[in-house]
Amino acid sequence: MAEKFLTDSEIKHARTMHKTKVHALQLAVAVALLGSWQLLADHKILDAFFYGRPSGVMHQLGVWIQHGTSIGSIWLNAWVTFYEATYGFFAGVILGIIFGVFLARNPTAAEIFAPYIKVSNSIPRVVLGSIFVLWLGLGSVSKVALAFVLVFFPVFFNAFQGTREADHKLIANARLLGASPRQITMKIIFPSALSWITASMHVSFGFALIGAIVGEFLGAQHGLGLLIATAQGNFNPNGVYAAMLLIAVMALTAEWLITKLENRLLNWRPTQVSGSEL
Amino acid sequence: MNRGTPVKLENVSKRFRTPKNGWYEALAGLNFEVEAGQFVALVGPTGCGKSTALTLLAGLEQPSIGLVTVNGKEVSDIDTSTGFVFQHDATFPWMNVYNNIAAGPKFRGVKDYDQSVRSWISKVGLTGFEANYPHQLSGGMKKRVALAQALINEPSLLLMDEPFSALDVQTRAIMTDELVSIWETTGSTVVFVTHDLEEAIALADRVIVLTAGPAQVKADFKINLPRPRKARDIRFTKEFLDIYQEVWSVLRDEVDIAYQRQLIAPGKEK
Ligand SMILES: Nc1ncnc2c1ncn2[C@@H]1O[C@H](COP(=O)(O)OP(=O)(O)O)[C@@H](O)[C@H]1O
Ligand SMILES: [Mg+2]
Repeated sequence: MAEKFLTDSEIKHARTMHKTKVHALQLAVAVALLGSWQLLADHKILDAFFYGRPSGVMHQLGVWIQHGTSIGSIWLNAWVTFYEATYGFFAGVILGIIFGVFLARNPTAAEIFAPYIKVSNSIPRVVLGSIFVLWLGLGSVSKVALAFVLVFFPVFFNAFQGTREADHKLIANARLLGASPRQITMKIIFPSALSWITASMHVSFGFALIGAIVGEFLGAQHGLGLLIATAQGNFNPNGVYAAMLLIAVMALTAEWLITKLENRLLNWRPTQVSGSEL
Repeated sequence: MNRGTPVKLENVSKRFRTPKNGWYEALAGLNFEVEAGQFVALVGPTGCGKSTALTLLAGLEQPSIGLVTVNGKEVSDIDTSTGFVFQHDATFPWMNVYNNIAAGPKFRGVKDYDQSVRSWISKVGLTGFEANYPHQLSGGMKKRVALAQALINEPSLLLMDEPFSALDVQTRAIMTDELVSIWETTGSTVVFVTHDLEEAIALADRVIVLTAGPAQVKADFKINLPRPRKARDIRFTKEFLDIYQEVWSVLRDEVDIAYQRQLIAPGKEK
């Protein structure tokens, strides 16, 4: 039986201890995995020619940073992929929200467009990549277009659903308090759909990166996707991993920023029960 | 200002589609009027159509047959000179207390609302909680927000749908008291729906008893208890208990009918 309340510093201490333990174990898992990969490759159990090895990946990254890649500076290529994904992401999120909210607020328009949306959503979107490269050329525009298409639909559907599920009582209350249709959309519908929208944004940046990289696979002058395709052509697995590592860093940074934004926008929600995040 | 009878329902019927594609008649030929400045309580068994009557008065729905007029005008859409306090929480979860109460003036484009917002915050006893979001408030506090949110717009007609039904008994008694004293200073016309007879008598000038659904007026009582009232104390006076007996004897039959129906068709009522 506890005799007195825990002090703040005791609670904080316990929490820090827990966190440290988790981080240490996470590090141990990474060391074990990478270490066994390295050992297996060093002892020729895994063929490094096909599977590469961690030290090779680091070496490849070092070479890229110091001497650049066959298609220009590594920073240039990373930047190209990053801005293609980012442009596609923002365009997809903004238009997805506008269309989703608009159609959910206008049932007749939704009825008219429903079959077209279903058809365009059913097209395997990666196929569009080839079409975009044909239409828009080898430059960045075709990659932005592919990233956009991949981001648009999930955001659109979530914005649509979020708007549909907005509490009718709150809308009635706002109307009685004097809100115009526009104010209802901006002050009631948008905030209530926001948790749906931010949920779709988490997956969407990943989709935007996929769009940019697949677009680069299909034909490009710069970008990490092209770098991967080149490394693959040269039987250089370490090059593929090194580019993947850079993409992962980008994706994680974006995820971190989106989470920050979400917490900022949704600070009115009851604090979520904290637990493991996956 | 538009002056006619503040509230008038003439032969009002309302029917709804049932899931089985039939019709359910919630109101059948409902008639009543409310005078300016009167506080009227509508009582009746659950499911008899009280909320339906209020949504018609607010313009949230239209009657199937009959005429609903507010201040002499037919109600064909939402009228923003009507205030509404909902049964369940309808405060905006993404706005703090201050912004919830300021919502009406802001929507209406009122410029200098700060002073009246602050004065309503203090009238409903929420000073110090301006920055709290609804989820950080108790049930009673949320009701205070809802009350101030509706009253700040100085509605000529205030509609309340069982506003205190979700509160615990003590909080409810306090809120009833506060509502009486706030209302006595505003003098707006009020239609207050409840299934709690004690609350109805403590608050109202007039209690209208509705029949088990579809609702019609079964009886209409004038409550001649003195004002200003102290709702919490008045419940134990002889006059109060006499009126209570009288109204309850009428209401009881309807409650019985509604209850019997519920036994026959369980699951119909929520
Ligand atoms: N929108 C609706 N669609 C179908 N039935 C409804 C609707 N609103 C109310 N009803 C029905 O009408 C009856 C009266 O409802 P209501 O006015 O909410 O009763 P009360 O407020 O007196 O408890 C109930 O049986 C309810 O099921
Ligand atoms: Mg009701």
